[in-house]
Amino acid sequence: MRHAALLVLIVALAVCLLLTGCSKAKPPSGDTAIPFGNFDEPGGRPSTLGNEAAAPAEGGKKFTLGMSQCSLNEPWRVQMNKDIEEAAKAHPELTVLYKDAQNQAEAQQAQVREFISQGVNLIIISPKEAKPLTQPVAEAMDAGIPVIVLDRKIEGDKYTCFIGGDNVLIGREAGKYLVKLLGGKGKIVELKGLETSTPAGERHKGFMEGIKGSQIEIIHTADCRWLEPNAQKEMNSVLTKFAQIDAVYGHNDPSAHGAWMAAKQEGKGREKTIKFIGIDALPHEGVKYVEEGILAATFEYKTGGKEAIEMAARILQGEKVPKSIVLGTRLFTPENVKQGGQEIKVGS
Amino acid sequence: MPDLAAPEGKPEEPGRPPKSVPVRLLGVLDRYRGLTALAVVFLLGACVSPRNLTTAQIVFLTPTNQSNVLFEYAEIGLLAAGMTLVILTAGIDLSVGSVLGFTATIFSFLLIAKGWAVVPSALVAVVGGALCGALSGMLVARLRLQPFVATLAMMAAARGAAKLVSGGIKIANGAQPWYVMQDAPPEVFTWMTAPVAGGWLRPVTLAFLATLLVLAVVVRYSRFGRHLYAIGGNEEAARLSGIAVRRSKVMAYLLCGLTAGMAGVCNACHLGYGDPEAGFTYELDAIAAVVVGGTSLMGGRGGMMLTLVGTLIIGYVNKILSLLGWQEAQRLLAKGLIIVLAVVIQETRRR
Repeated sequence: MRHAALLVLIVALAVCLLLTGCSKAKPPSGDTAIPFGNFDEPGGRPSTLGNEAAAPAEGGKKFTLGMSQCSLNEPWRVQMNKDIEEAAKAHPELTVLYKDAQNQAEAQQAQVREFISQGVNLIIISPKEAKPLTQPVAEAMDAGIPVIVLDRKIEGDKYTCFIGGDNVLIGREAGKYLVKLLGGKGKIVELKGLETSTPAGERHKGFMEGIKGSQIEIIHTADCRWLEPNAQKEMNSVLTKFAQIDAVYGHNDPSAHGAWMAAKQEGKGREKTIKFIGIDALPHEGVKYVEEGILAATFEYKTGGKEAIEMAARILQGEKVPKSIVLGTRLFTPENVKQGGQEIKVGS
Repeated sequence: MPDLAAPEGKPEEPGRPPKSVPVRLLGVLDRYRGLTALAVVFLLGACVSPRNLTTAQIVFLTPTNQSNVLFEYAEIGLLAAGMTLVILTAGIDLSVGSVLGFTATIFSFLLIAKGWAVVPSALVAVVGGALCGALSGMLVARLRLQPFVATLAMMAAARGAAKLVSGGIKIANGAQPWYVMQDAPPEVFTWMTAPVAGGWLRPVTLAFLATLLVLAVVVRYSRFGRHLYAIGGNEEAARLSGIAVRRSKVMAYLLCGLTAGMAGVCNACHLGYGDPEAGFTYELDAIAAVVVGGTSLMGGRGGMMLTLVGTLIIGYVNKILSLLGWQEAQRLLAKGLIIVLAVVIQETRRR
């Protein structure tokens, strides 16, 4: 019995080691992930994404980029890496090394310094926090390595280019769209993201600007921490409390989907009369919900991955690029989702 | 409810004069203090709950609301039921939330990506959960790791396994090109969450209540159940009196993993997809439900029905705060306060 137990443990440990081995050799993106059934693929696949230094350039000008991602725990960030990977395919001269800081600012500081000592040609960083990463980014700049800062900012101006979305703009667009959708009046529920996070604050602020002057009344708000189960529970309460609800504004698509699910599970068909709108528009999430008729709209919060590679290529060719690039958004509705949504530019 | 007269309830001492009616009433209240706490929370809910704006009903008391609480807290309740077994042995299982995520992912993976039928998918998921539990149990019982450490490791490993299976994104129909099922989500998702027989119960709720009942009988009447109390009370004494301590411990963790597996299946049905992130921090709610119910973290004292009471208290408190439309800051403060109050009510008489 004791031997059997030990054997099970050893086998389990061995399997775990094998699995971690596989996952290290794997590009950090959703659709290239090895599906569950294929663990026994011999040796995984060769990868250029490991932490080893880039291969020496042979003919033509080759560049190595370091990409430091603060966390791959959220699908949105997985998508960001995927967008970078996708865009980099069009630039054969670029090789991208990926690092994931697993949500620890200290780990990310170390990564930036590793990239510096590795001598990469350019660093793309999506920082976890501004303060702790300002210094390492400055060190990279001092070492002559240009740095593109993605999504979240760092302090000061010692970086080459910042690329990020505008949550206030997105919130405002969501508000304006809802005013149009409801004909200027109605009772709505706002399911917020984590209130202490800046995107939730900005998505709320923009939304209030968007519905200003209309007769839209917010009858209930709650902090759902970006999480679908929370939104679902909250919506259950709202449904028992209010007979008339015209729309739900979810700070992200999972919140909107959770609210829809609650209405559906209530069994009174209210999921068809209430309009649900969300934000983020990940292809396998929000956009899909719009296609399925679950959401009346979703607004893309761009990852900036594609734009970062474009800027990187231009910087490496010696071109001058703007210091700050604010990304617009894209509106997906059941009418335009098949055509890939409608672009909304900054300032329009 | 056999367990409510929990094992710690002292038998009447002989030779004392008969007590007056109010004293006996207080005694009854005291023996059922878990229920008392629940009743207090329930009354609070009825008093402070808003009314429906059209029908003027007290929202908290409506059958819909009551069934909602059971429905929403079915997963926490399942986790708490398994957790009770482990806590009775003076252990703890921190991995249940991750195991829930893992099994929810496995279940939807087989169903949506592989096109398996519902029953085998669910079976594999539940067995997977039980295996995770058994592994933790063996680490605790055979390698003598502290439960906290062993299950902390499992917490990380199970979450990793969940992400490995799903490639880091949610498993829904059409979300990945290689998912077989491209059109409608599996029927079981709707079926498990729709009211049955025109009543207020849903299969998810029924699964939770049935599991709890079965485990309550096991804990109360089986030899295994008595062994759990004995181990939690004094492990060395239990071992000396010939109880197979290690086997019982492994079994407790295995069952805890098994209920986490069931909770995972329920979670996938609840959300309509398999989320590798599902169940994050649920272990804390489950532990809270067990403790608020009156099962002691020191082991050896408590019961399964107390956990039902605890789950209901946690569920009601959250529901009341949600119905009132309180904001997060006040909600957290109130929740902390009420948990402390509930446990104080539970513990005062023991000191």
